[in-house]
Amino acid sequence: MTISGVSGRTSYIGSGILDLRSQLDTLTQQLSSGKVSTTYEGQGSGRSLAITLRSQITAIAGYSDTAVNLNTRIGVANLSLQRLAQIGSTVKGAAVSAGTTLDNTGQTAGQKTANLSFVDSVDMLNTKSGDRYLFSGRATDTAPVASSTEIMDGDGIKDGLKTVIAERKTADLGTGLGRLTIAPQTVGSTAVAIAEETPATLFGMKLTNVASTLTGATVTGPTGTPAAISVDLGATNPNPGDKVKFTFTLPDNTLETIDMTAVAAGTTPLPANSFELGATTDITASNLNAALTTSVGDLAKGTMVAASAIAAGDNFFDTPPMRVGAGGAAATALINGSADTVSWYKGEPDIPANGSARGSAVAQVDQSITVNYGARADEQALRSQLQTVAVFAAFSIDVTNLSNPAVAKAANAQVAALNQRVAQNLAPVAGTQSIQDIQADFAGASVSIKATTDRQTQTKALSETLLDSIEGIDDNEVAAKILALQTALQASYQTTSTLYQMSLVKFL
Amino acid sequence: MSLNDALSIAMAGLRANQAAMSLVSSNVANAETPGYVKKTINQVATNAGYGSSVTIVGVNRELDQYIQAQLRTETSGAGYASLRSNFLQQLQGMYGNPGSTGTLEAAFAGLTTAVQALATSADSQSARIGVVNAAAVLSQQLNSMTQGIQSLRGAAETGISDSVDDANALMKQIATINNSLAANPAGGTSTDSSTAALLDQRDQYITQLSGLMDIRVTTNGANQVTVFTGSGVQLVGQEAATLSFNAQGTVTPNTEWSADPSKSKLGSVIVSFANGGSIDLTASGAIKSGKIAAYTELRDKTLVEAQDQLDQFAAQISSALSDKTTAATITTPVAGSQAATLDLSGMKSGNITHLSYTDANNVQHQISLMRVDDPSVLPLSNNLTADPNDEVYGIDFSASPASIVAQLNTALNGKLTFTGVSIAAVTVNNNPTLTTLTAASVTTTALPGSLTSGNPQVALFTDTGSSYTGAISGSGSQITGLAGRLTVNSALLADPSKLVLYGPTTAAGDTTRVDFIMSQLTKATFQYTPSDGVGSASAPFKGTLLSYMQQFTSAQGAQASAAKQLASGQDVVLATLQEKMTTTSGVNIDDEMAHLLSLQNAYSANARVMSTVNDMYKTLMQAF
Repeated sequence: MTISGVSGRTSYIGSGILDLRSQLDTLTQQLSSGKVSTTYEGQGSGRSLAITLRSQITAIAGYSDTAVNLNTRIGVANLSLQRLAQIGSTVKGAAVSAGTTLDNTGQTAGQKTANLSFVDSVDMLNTKSGDRYLFSGRATDTAPVASSTEIMDGDGIKDGLKTVIAERKTADLGTGLGRLTIAPQTVGSTAVAIAEETPATLFGMKLTNVASTLTGATVTGPTGTPAAISVDLGATNPNPGDKVKFTFTLPDNTLETIDMTAVAAGTTPLPANSFELGATTDITASNLNAALTTSVGDLAKGTMVAASAIAAGDNFFDTPPMRVGAGGAAATALINGSADTVSWYKGEPDIPANGSARGSAVAQVDQSITVNYGARADEQALRSQLQTVAVFAAFSIDVTNLSNPAVAKAANAQVAALNQRVAQNLAPVAGTQSIQDIQADFAGASVSIKATTDRQTQTKALSETLLDSIEGIDDNEVAAKILALQTALQASYQTTSTLYQMSLVKFL
Repeated sequence: MSLNDALSIAMAGLRANQAAMSLVSSNVANAETPGYVKKTINQVATNAGYGSSVTIVGVNRELDQYIQAQLRTETSGAGYASLRSNFLQQLQGMYGNPGSTGTLEAAFAGLTTAVQALATSADSQSARIGVVNAAAVLSQQLNSMTQGIQSLRGAAETGISDSVDDANALMKQIATINNSLAANPAGGTSTDSSTAALLDQRDQYITQLSGLMDIRVTTNGANQVTVFTGSGVQLVGQEAATLSFNAQGTVTPNTEWSADPSKSKLGSVIVSFANGGSIDLTASGAIKSGKIAAYTELRDKTLVEAQDQLDQFAAQISSALSDKTTAATITTPVAGSQAATLDLSGMKSGNITHLSYTDANNVQHQISLMRVDDPSVLPLSNNLTADPNDEVYGIDFSASPASIVAQLNTALNGKLTFTGVSIAAVTVNNNPTLTTLTAASVTTTALPGSLTSGNPQVALFTDTGSSYTGAISGSGSQITGLAGRLTVNSALLADPSKLVLYGPTTAAGDTTRVDFIMSQLTKATFQYTPSDGVGSASAPFKGTLLSYMQQFTSAQGAQASAAKQLASGQDVVLATLQEKMTTTSGVNIDDEMAHLLSLQNAYSANARVMSTVNDMYKTLMQAF
């Protein structure tokens, strides 16, 4: 720009000085800001690369935020899993060692432990990191598991596990023989018949096998629908010590057998699971009938009740929850209980349509590296442990008639069977998921995050160095330039002033 | 008598000295006056008896016309270059301080970071609000940059108007001086001092005019100048032509200059002659340098390109998130024939259905069928899409379904055939003897109101509330000025949870939509039409949103940098010429002072001659 009003000479001398001044201003600005320029224009040919580098650095900052977040979440989830694994072994230990002594609430010491552990388990599965539930799959804003009291006792409108167990117990027990019928012995008959109830029912014990060493006897079955077994002693009495072995499938799909042993006439007291040989086979058959009825009754009222509770637990922890249909002791089928039963799991269901549990939370930790760290409380390992602990905690014996030896005997059998089943269900089974498997998945995610973060730290440092070489300045260089310019400017001022003084005007 | 001669010669000497003194004083006084040319006395010896007297003939202007002409050319150049550089520096201000907030890249990085955070914590309300806010920052950044660019265009428009006023005043002055010179009884080439002063003034006006536009000047024998534009339109002779400029008050992205006056929404510089003729200097491109040329170029090209770049960026980021392309399944009902059923019912104005077929020579053809609702824009140009290889046909959807199918058949002219009674199911068939249908897809834009469609596509950005679909209508393209109108979808502002919940039963931690947004923002590549100066028609720029932004931001930087270099180079040239001009035509005080001394001596000497003559007369008188 020319300065109007003054002619060329002054203007071009002036503009030279102005140019120096503006260079000095620019350098001062560079020195104070540490940047070569405040516009894209001033950054020179590196400006395009600088944009990429800055975006890379921002992206890495974003990824590192993600990594921090993820490490926290995985850490918290891992703590929960660790505690759950501990609970598993504690409860298993309690079930194995706690014995069958009942307290005033009808529970063993082991079950007391399970009570606390159950509350703890629910708490662990409802763990949050920040506002995020970690065991809900994608439904991260929903607590995955209903509260422990709701699960146990219902919420006032819907029933809880205890009710479901009680209903199932009634349904499985039927009239007292575990939904089996043993036909009354007709006079003269040499055959004993045991059959599943008609109409066919899902509940109770199922006839699975019969095997006999009874001399002269013919055993058939289980055949027909509902299945039936017949033991026909024929014309010859069995010898003492001969056995007929009945195998039953209990509601939790465990097998129980009853060995009925023939004992000589007059044996007193008659040992358990034995029948007295009569004078004729029809009398022996009648004895077998009576003994079998007692034994099956004992099994149903004892071990089967524990098995029934386990099965009820499985029904309750299904999605949707299942429970016994209409009919009480004569019920024949399970129904969808979602209308009147508490749903224990409220998160995203662990079904194939929803993909893998781990894949329900996917985070990008780098341009093309993703980490899967989702979990669902209804995953096999977590559900099965929670279910077992819950059943163990929910099960109780009515202590009012314990003085009755028969009741005490049944109670003892129930508790022993429950202990055994709980211990067995909490033991790891090859080929199924365990809590340790989930932990291993999380550990893998952690390792992947760590490796990525380490690499990003290096990349970021490199990018920053390169960026600094484009948009940054060398302080020394700028300072030196300022000095040089200062000198030049001073010299210019001096020379200009001398130039204007060196005029003939002065010397006239 | 020779003593008388001597006396009169000395008198003439004194007169000449006085005249020379007055020139020295005027030179010294005007040493710093712009346009002042150093004057010297033009004196000759005349015969007077035995001696020679001195006569003053006139005043010499010490002017180097060659340098003057060069100076004018370079003044135009410098006016153009410095103004352009100035504007581009201001434009750089709109792009912000790289690496700090307030830049487009920072706003974009803010959005991707927010989306990344949302992908990590999809359930977090604050992360959801974070994305909406970051999107708002980005749209506001685009809005304010648009405003900045348009206000610069407005300033250019005003600048042209002011320059035209200045030019008119200067041209009138030049014509006036031409006339004064002609009126001089001594003739235009007289060397009297008033003529010299007029010439100084006229030269100064012409130089000023050359700063506004490039001009050519011819001077005739009578010292009359004629000023032409660089391209030869006469501006000043005996009379000055009048420049007029119809400045527009409001300048927006949609107000664009056009050579057709009925379509132009911005002013043109028109020169009108006294005899009634007129020429549109802007349309004919007659002004190639000087401030007016710089203003015009900024207003109609440089800044329009900058706006186009922002508009394309805005359009692409908007469509990238809201457009869904559904590929149709191609079936083979009979060997050699292909069919696909297209659902065109979801297409909005500007949405495109893509078809590909190969012809008998195995040449691939890309067909883009665009929905238009305003038949007046038909037929469409093939340059409408960024794809350089496609054929673009506009289909008027305001017509009946039967007509739409008919239009489709007409467009493809038998190479592909269309049938159907409803646009929800239009079947496209190949022509078994000519073509093979290879691909068919329909693109539809998600409306701002449909946030839970079950698709990850979402209208995060809107064109002031309505969806951006790339519609073309009689009043222009929707893309024009989009960057200035881009806003965040108000439905999302009201309910940011819809950034995650893409269907009625979506879980809070489901990242399907967030992942889609993230990948569209950071990974997806798009083609950009070359109208904005990035890429070329045959090889349009293709890249991610970030790389496109990087392209145009650095292109703008480079442009400003080049303009600055040009301007400073031009300044150096101008300064050098000015220095030369001053050396040859300017006043040198030292010269003048030395001259003053010699004049003083000469004056004393002349006075001494007179006093001697006086003494001699005295001697003569006393002798009698």
